Amino acid sequence: MKMKKKIIEVGYGSVNKVKIGSNMPLAFIGGPCAIESREHAFKMADLIGNVCNKLNIPWIYKSCYDKDCRSSPESFHGMGMEDGLRILSDIRDEFSLPVVSDFSDSSWSKATGEVCDMVQIPAYLCRQTSILRAAAETNRPIHLKKGQFMSPWNMKNSIRKLEDFGSEQVLLADRGTFMGYNQLVNDMTCFPIMSQTGYPVCFDATHSIQLPTSMGNISGGQREFIPYLVRAASACGINALFMEVHDNPVAALSDANTVLDIQYLENILSQAKIVHEMRLELIEQFGEDNVHPNE
Amino acid sequence: MSTQMNKNILVSEVMLSVEFCPVVSENVILKEALEQMGKLKLGISCIVDIEGKLLGILTDGDIRRKLLKSQKPLSALFVDDALIHSIREPIIVHPSDSLFDSVTLMDKNQVWDLPVVDIHNKLLGVLHSHRAVAVLLGIKNE
Repeated sequence: MKMKKKIIEVGYGSVNKVKIGSNMPLAFIGGPCAIESREHAFKMADLIGNVCNKLNIPWIYKSCYDKDCRSSPESFHGMGMEDGLRILSDIRDEFSLPVVSDFSDSSWSKATGEVCDMVQIPAYLCRQTSILRAAAETNRPIHLKKGQFMSPWNMKNSIRKLEDFGSEQVLLADRGTFMGYNQLVNDMTCFPIMSQTGYPVCFDATHSIQLPTSMGNISGGQREFIPYLVRAASACGINALFMEVHDNPVAALSDANTVLDIQYLENILSQAKIVHEMRLELIEQFGEDNVHPNE
Repeated sequence: MSTQMNKNILVSEVMLSVEFCPVVSENVILKEALEQMGKLKLGISCIVDIEGKLLGILTDGDIRRKLLKSQKPLSALFVDDALIHSIREPIIVHPSDSLFDSVTLMDKNQVWDLPVVDIHNKLLGVLHSHRAVAVLLGIKNE
């Protein structure tokens, strides 16, 4: 028995609506990891928008106002909720662009949901009932990242919580799974497994190549693997691609070792789009994947 | 010891009503369905929709066969919807059916339990073989 596949729509008010789901164009979610300044946030929205418009890829701007999971108390924590959400709200208005931001504390959810078109639940918090409830209560679509410690099938428990709290607009993302200490691995079977929930799935490429806290008090990363993993995930079957992008990664205030340099964005997105469209054509030609008789 | 078989007894007189049967909703996972079966000490779980209509059944035998066939980790199998592993068009009986005929049906199909439904397929209970045979043989009153 196949689960009915759901399509979620991101964007309220007058911004562009982005539909994510089965047989839809690949959606892109991207931006700088942290909101560094108003000028930088606007610059990144403009630069990424130019690429996405050129490639005709629907996209959602992502950036965070509070990075609560940094390895060190000395690391840049973010500009704060009030200022950050004001910038995101202005980006929405200026670019007619849906925006997404995460929250790490339930008390931040209401304000985040009032501004953002989609709210994001950090991977470390993906099974916290209070966070899931707070996300559902925003009535916005939810970008739920699979914890690095979670099996893809156990994400169903978080989905059930969200559904109990009234949410049925969820995007499930993979950002890698812990393999021992300080290292992540991507198991591509997580996409068909999480898809069995019926909800669309997303590949977070730039966090997947992270080496968590591998550099003592900060995380490292092997961004050279981004293109390989993006092609693999797109071919496997995803509905959205997530990447953090920066115009000067060396100077990035957050995740400097993993963010993608904007100069490579067009290359990566072009490939992802082509592979995604090829996959849809293959389904059209050969039918849905199934190697089990009578199923 | 001789026993007198009463062929006039109806299923409705012997069946276990739903509160004594493992009955689960369609969004319940396999692990929860198994827990219900253990709690109520029956080898069948009936899966119903929001109106109480029977969607499928899951039995001890189904689980045994599934465990031998499935290559999934057990933790993944546990969170599957119970419904996807269920028998979707099970053999059913109605409350007005004869108990004798129903036990004969159990024997013919080699099953221990039969869901009892009304004409709209709403689950009313389960006919359990131990109790059915005991009543039929006069060992236990209906």
